[in-house]
This record gives sequence, C-alpha cells and structure tokens, in this order.
Amino acid sequence: MRRTVRSPIRSSFQKKLMSAFLMVGVLPLLVCVLLILNVFRFSLQSSSEANAESQLKAMTAGLGERLEACGQVLETLGGNRSVGAALENRAGRDTRIYNALYDTAAPLLRDADFSLYDREGELLYTTGSGGVERLEVNWGLLFAAREEGDVVCRDISPYDGVAGGGLRLARVITRGDQVAGYAVAQVGQEQLERLFEGKYPAGSDVLVLNPRWNEVYASPTLQDEGLAARLRGRLLDGIPLAQAGEGYTYHVLEEEGSGFWLALRQPQPLADWVLRLFYLAVGVSLLLCVLVCLRASVSFSRQLFRPIRSLNNAMAAVEGGELGVRVEVHGTDEIGQLSGRFNRMSQRLKENLEESIRQQQELGEAQIRMMQAQLNPHFLYNTLDTLKWLGKIHQAPEVSVIAADLADILRQSISAGEFDTLGEELGLLERYVEIQRLRFPGKFEYETRVEGELLDALVPKLMLQPLVENAIIHGFEDGSHGYIRLSARQRGGELELTVEDDGCGMSRESMERFLARREPESGRHYGLYNVDAILRLHYGPDSGLRFLPPEGGKGTCIRVCLPIRRREEEGL
Amino acid sequence: MKKRGILAVFACLFFLASCQEAGPDLTGMVPGEEERLVVYTSHKEEVYGPIIKEFEDRTGLWVEVVTGGSNELLERIAAEADEPGCDVMFGGGVESLQLYEDCFEPYAGPGSELLKPGLRQSGDRWTPFSSLPVVLIYNTRLVSQGEMVSWAGLLEERWRGKIAFADPAVSGSSYTAAITMLSCLEGDIWENLARFEENLDGNILEDSGDVVTAVDVGSCWVGITLEETALKRLGQGANIALVYPREGTSALPDGTALVAGARHRDNAVEFLDFVQSQDVQALVVSDFARRSVRSDVHDREELPGEEEIGIIDYDVAWASGIKEEFLARWEAGKGGVS
Repeated sequence: MRRTVRSPIRSSFQKKLMSAFLMVGVLPLLVCVLLILNVFRFSLQSSSEANAESQLKAMTAGLGERLEACGQVLETLGGNRSVGAALENRAGRDTRIYNALYDTAAPLLRDADFSLYDREGELLYTTGSGGVERLEVNWGLLFAAREEGDVVCRDISPYDGVAGGGLRLARVITRGDQVAGYAVAQVGQEQLERLFEGKYPAGSDVLVLNPRWNEVYASPTLQDEGLAARLRGRLLDGIPLAQAGEGYTYHVLEEEGSGFWLALRQPQPLADWVLRLFYLAVGVSLLLCVLVCLRASVSFSRQLFRPIRSLNNAMAAVEGGELGVRVEVHGTDEIGQLSGRFNRMSQRLKENLEESIRQQQELGEAQIRMMQAQLNPHFLYNTLDTLKWLGKIHQAPEVSVIAADLADILRQSISAGEFDTLGEELGLLERYVEIQRLRFPGKFEYETRVEGELLDALVPKLMLQPLVENAIIHGFEDGSHGYIRLSARQRGGELELTVEDDGCGMSRESMERFLARREPESGRHYGLYNVDAILRLHYGPDSGLRFLPPEGGKGTCIRVCLPIRRREEEGL
Repeated sequence: MKKRGILAVFACLFFLASCQEAGPDLTGMVPGEEERLVVYTSHKEEVYGPIIKEFEDRTGLWVEVVTGGSNELLERIAAEADEPGCDVMFGGGVESLQLYEDCFEPYAGPGSELLKPGLRQSGDRWTPFSSLPVVLIYNTRLVSQGEMVSWAGLLEERWRGKIAFADPAVSGSSYTAAITMLSCLEGDIWENLARFEENLDGNILEDSGDVVTAVDVGSCWVGITLEETALKRLGQGANIALVYPREGTSALPDGTALVAGARHRDNAVEFLDFVQSQDVQALVVSDFARRSVRSDVHDREELPGEEEIGIIDYDVAWASGIKEEFLARWEAGKGGVS
C-alpha cells in the first residue's frame, strides 16, 4: 500500500529532475565542445587552405613563367633565318646553329632541353643529352605544332618511352610556305622537380595534370601511382576530390597559358586519429557528466522526497479521520513551512470538529429541555380551558381572561417549529402582558412601535417574552411605576428589536455573570440567558443580546439584531 | 512544443558535428556531357593508350576508358541496351561484334570508301580497325626453313603433339584460326578437324597468348597464331619464324562500333572517324605490327602483300553458324584422345 503511494511521486520527480539536470549539465557541455572543435577545425583548415592556395598559386605562376620563357626561346629560334635554312637543308653538326641555339636558350639551359627537328621529325640539334631521335610529324606534338602554327605545349606521352614524363613545347619553323622543321623545348621530370623544389611543404605532394587531367608529372615523394587517374575519375563523377578516410585534402589550379593543372595534395590539418581521440575524450566526459547528473538527481529527489513522503502519509491519515497526527518539521525551507502549516491546519481542524460536537450537544440538550416542557401540554391546555369556563360561570372574568391568555401562550409555545413571525410573537406578548397587567394593575405601561412590513419577519419562537418578563419582574421590583417599550425597525437589512424599561436595571453582579456567560443564579435572569443561548445557536456566536445604556440613565435597554427572513423565503 | 525545441537543439548539434570541409569547389571544372565520351575497349593499353591520348589532345574531349575482355564488354553493352553506359566499343573480333550487331548503330564514316575490299561490313554495324591475318609459326632452332609451309602440313604425323594451339572453346582467335584452316584444307571439314585434333595429341593450350611462348621455348615446334602477336614477339627477340600458309589464310579485322542510343553520339562518331583516319592507321602499321584497313595506308615493306598471302574469303556468318557443331565435335574429339 505504501509503495503504490510512493512510487509515482518519486518516479515523476526523478524523471523531471534528471531531465532538468541533463539539460543543464550535458547540453551546454555538448554545445561548447562541438563549437570549440569546429572553430578549431575551421581555423586550422582555413589557414592550411590559405597556405595551400598561395603555394599552389606560386607554383602555377612559376610553371607559367617557365613555359612562357621556353615559348619565347622557341619563337626566337623560329625567327632565326640561319636556323631555318639549316633545317631546310637537314644539315646537322653546324657549330653556328649550335651557337645560335645555345645563345638563345642561355638563360634556360638548366631548366629545359632545346632541340631542333627537321621536317621529317629527325633530331638535328639539341642542348640536352637525352633528346628523342625521332618525333612523329603526323602525331602528337609536331602535328599539333604544324596545325596551330604557334607554340604548343603537350605532355610527353607515357607511350613515348621517355622516363618520368614531363612537358614539351614545339613551334613549327617555316621557310616561305614550306615547313622547314620544328623547334622543341622539353621540360622533363628532373627539371620540373627543380622548378617546384621548396615551394611546397614536406609531406605534401604535387601533381601536374594535362588539360584532361592525365598525369604529366608527380613529385618524387608521391608513392601513390594511380592518384592522377583516381582524381580524374572523381572529377568525371563529379564527386569531391577529398574522400573521407584518405586523410588528405586537395587543391587544384589551372595554369591559364597552357591549360595544364597543378594539384597539391596535403595531409589533413587535423589527422583522423586526433579527431578520434578528441571524440573519445568528449564521449567519456559526456558519459561522466550523465552519470553525475543521474547520481545528483537521485540523491536530490530522495532528499526532497523524504519530507514530502511523511507529509503525504500524514495527509492520508487525516483523510482517514486521524486528526491527531503531526509532522516533524525540519528546517525553515519551503518544505519545513509546509509541514508547519499542515500541523497548524490539522490542529484547527481538530478544534473545529470539537466545537461543532459541543454545539451539537448543546442543541440536543435544549431540545430535550423543550421536549420536557411539552410534557402533557394537552392536559394543561384542557385544564386551562376548564379554568376559563369556570371563571365565566363563577362571574370571575379575570380568571377566565388569564386562563384564556395562558392557554393561547401555551398553545403557541408547544406548537412545532423553532420560528414564528414577529406578528405572532407580538400577539403572544400581548397575552402575556394582559396577564401581568391583571397581576400588577397599574404598575407599568407597555408600548410597541413596530414597522408594519416587519410583522412577517421570522424570529426565534418565544424570544421576546423573556425579555419583557425580565423588565416586569426585575425592573419594577421595588413597586414603582414603570414603562416598557418594545420597538422593531429595519436597519441595513437587519431587524433591530429593542426592549427598554425605566426600571432599576440589572445588578452589576448579574450583568457580569451574564457577560461571562455563566449560568445565572437560580431563578434570576434565566430567561435572558436562554434567549441569548438560542440566538447564538441560531445566528452565530456574535449575535447574542446586547445591553445598551438606557435612555435617561435608568433601567435596562436590550437589543437584538437579526437578519430579516420570511416564511416564503425559508420555504416553510 | 518542448519536444520540438529539444529536437531543434539536437539538429543544431548534428549540424555542428557534421560540418565537414568541402575541399576545392569542383563546380565549373567538371566537364559537361557534351565534352565526354565513354569507350569500352578490349585492346591492350599499348594500343588504346596512344590513340585515346591523341584523340583527347586533338578534340579536347574527356574520354572515359573501360577495359575488359571483348566478350565481357559486349555482354555488358547488351545488358545496358536500355540505358547505354558506353558510346563506343573499341576492339573485339568481327565475329564477336557480329553476334551483338543489334546493339550497334550503323555508321559509315568518310574513311569507309577507302577501306580495303572485303573489310567493310555490309550493314555498317561496325567499322574495321586493323586486319589480323592468321599465320603459322615455327621454332627456328627445331624446324628448318621450308619444313612447314601449309595448313596440310599440320596434319602430318611428324608434328603429332608438337603443335601449339589454343582451345577454340576459350579463345575467339583460335576458333577463327581453326575455321581458316578447315576452309583452306581440301576434303570434308569434320574429317579434317578430327585428324587435326588427333595430331594435337591432347596438347591444347589454355590461352592464345601461350602459343608463341610454347613455340619460342621449344615445348612445341610449330604453332598457329595471329600475325600481330607473332610479329610483336619476334620484335622482342623470340626464336620464331612466320609462315603464310600456301593455301592462303584469313585476315579478319577487329572493329570499332557505335553503340545504339549512345549518350555522346556526336563524340563517338568523331572517335570512329579518328580511328579510321590516316594518322591512326599509319600508327597501326608503324607501332602496333598490324595491317591497316585503309587502302591508302601502306603496310610494312618487309611484310608480304595481301595478294601474295592469298587472303581467302572468310564467311563470318557461316563460321558463327557452325560454331555449335564445331565445339561439340571438338569436345568429343578431345574426349576420344584423352
């Protein structure tokens, strides 16, 4: 039974706490870590990218300048008349031609091999040592040179049998309209290597690609032979050059003059294993964070739950009617305050219950008294009727009047219901006063001032009679002549009843006793006491009799204020 | 509402985590479809390499080369018929191309008028690339000149078990050679086949490339192969000599074909024209030890002319027609020997 009460509270508490803790603990950590990582990676990447771009630009510019310079040499050779003549005659080993060749190529002798081929593609002169003896004239380079009529640049075909590849430039040399021969510059593997040396960082690799991305040159450190073909395939497939898992980034740039491409391959600035380590560290710290959050939420919820559980149990006990339970109050926090409030609340509840039980008992006692008073009322009534007739028969009208009045009073007092209208009550009072007038002839005057519309207002039965009796019996004890006035008026929605007399007033002792709500001495002011009790029972503890200072400083003035109710409103 | 907020946060995180470097932007560098050509080739790289490179250099097109065996590539083309991945089939004997002629679009370029007689396919479904005569070879140390001069000589008892011949069930060129031999011999072809197979004495090589090697090292004395293969090996210093059989021989070309529905048809046509151009055909002669298919490109001077060899009329359709029966008899004969 306890468990069923307990688990839903705690589980929801814990869940809420845990998600709150996770939200507060894990999310910011995750966001921060990822932000830092990405900022770090981004900055590293952009700096390495910028580096690579500038290096690549420099190398491309270098290549462009070299090709441009070679082209210039070829142009100069093409314009040289003696060279043209020698080629036309297919004359080799002429020192003047060698002189012209070496002079023209002087600044570039180390950077390229310059050769002269005749119109059949046979080698006649060369500044290098490994010139190709024969070049096809209807194929490849010389074909293109003849077709273009200008300096052309081609990569050395891998099928030409020249080791390492490289570039060749060629220009056709004409005599008149006839092709005399070709000037060719060859920038081989070693020369390209020298050109790029020191222009890219260690660990990176350079590729030169022809306009269709076939490999022309690869830096000697590049062990990966199929790289150019793979890059070409990726380009054709339209997928990024850098593929995950390879650990490299690529940068490519076109040399505008020749249409050749340079590709720079760089190791990724943030190696994969570093990233993996980072992710591992992030994972472990996140896990730690989650565990701490879990632990904290559990202990927190327990700490919170203990007082709540005892409160909950106490409430269940109160629900079951056990009003005496009290909760132990720890500390002054909200839970402590709540416990204190609960204790006070259950205390008040208990007091209220006791009070209402007491009132019930009092009411019961009053009812018993009333029922006792009703004992054999019919016998009394019949007797009084007999008395009235006896009075009439025996010519004693006073006796018959008294008996009739008494019978009326008796009938009204034993009738069912706790309330009468003010009019009925006043009628009963008339009977009573008539009897008293007969008892004490000329001793007092009685006057009523009642607003007509109040006559049907409800008042507790037999409420006014004890007040008037009090004035007659106790006010005029010394036999003096007195004046009694009963007034009823409406004031602010309430019925205000006042009974005044100019008698000797209540003794101080009786007044104190009355105000202290002690039972009066036997026979003295018992009626007042009863009326007061009835009023309090009906209208609440604040609505008893009030004693006002009498007019003229003599006598007694008692006032009762009641809410105005009528029969039809009550549904009676 | 709250859940959506959490989702949004996680989406942000995921985005942050997955934000990868893009590398160089390839937009604008990737060649467009109009600049591309896809070539399936069964040629060796030494043949297609220079031709493709020169084609790229001259046209500025990007050629994607897919290599493989001719049957494998032809099957692939047939399988891709609905959505061709290939524009040009470069290589493959005409007998193989003939089988898949439905996959190809007829095309006759400007060079087709200049083709040597008999090489142009009637439907123009493929264009010939080079002509490949079948020849006999012998080991110059083991066989003296004049001992082996004809197809008929192969049926002589003295070469029993000494003939290098690849399995025609496996090698297309070996089947062509066998049909050539049977066409040149007098008498019933199936009888001749049985006699020939008997003379092989179960010595059948797995691959047509093994024939020259077997003769060169002397494990076989004589062999049947393509002129191109023999010349190439001869150039590398093999101990062999070529014999053009007295009865004549076939000179079947290999071909180039335009795939029907090719995505880059214009470029493919350009390639077909290029392959048949004088420049390429000159290269076929000078660099590949093959015979040109053009009448205006002269073959190597040291090689006997085609009239001299006596090129027979090889009926491709008939040869494909009897292949099934041939192979059945071949298998049966093999079983009988072993």
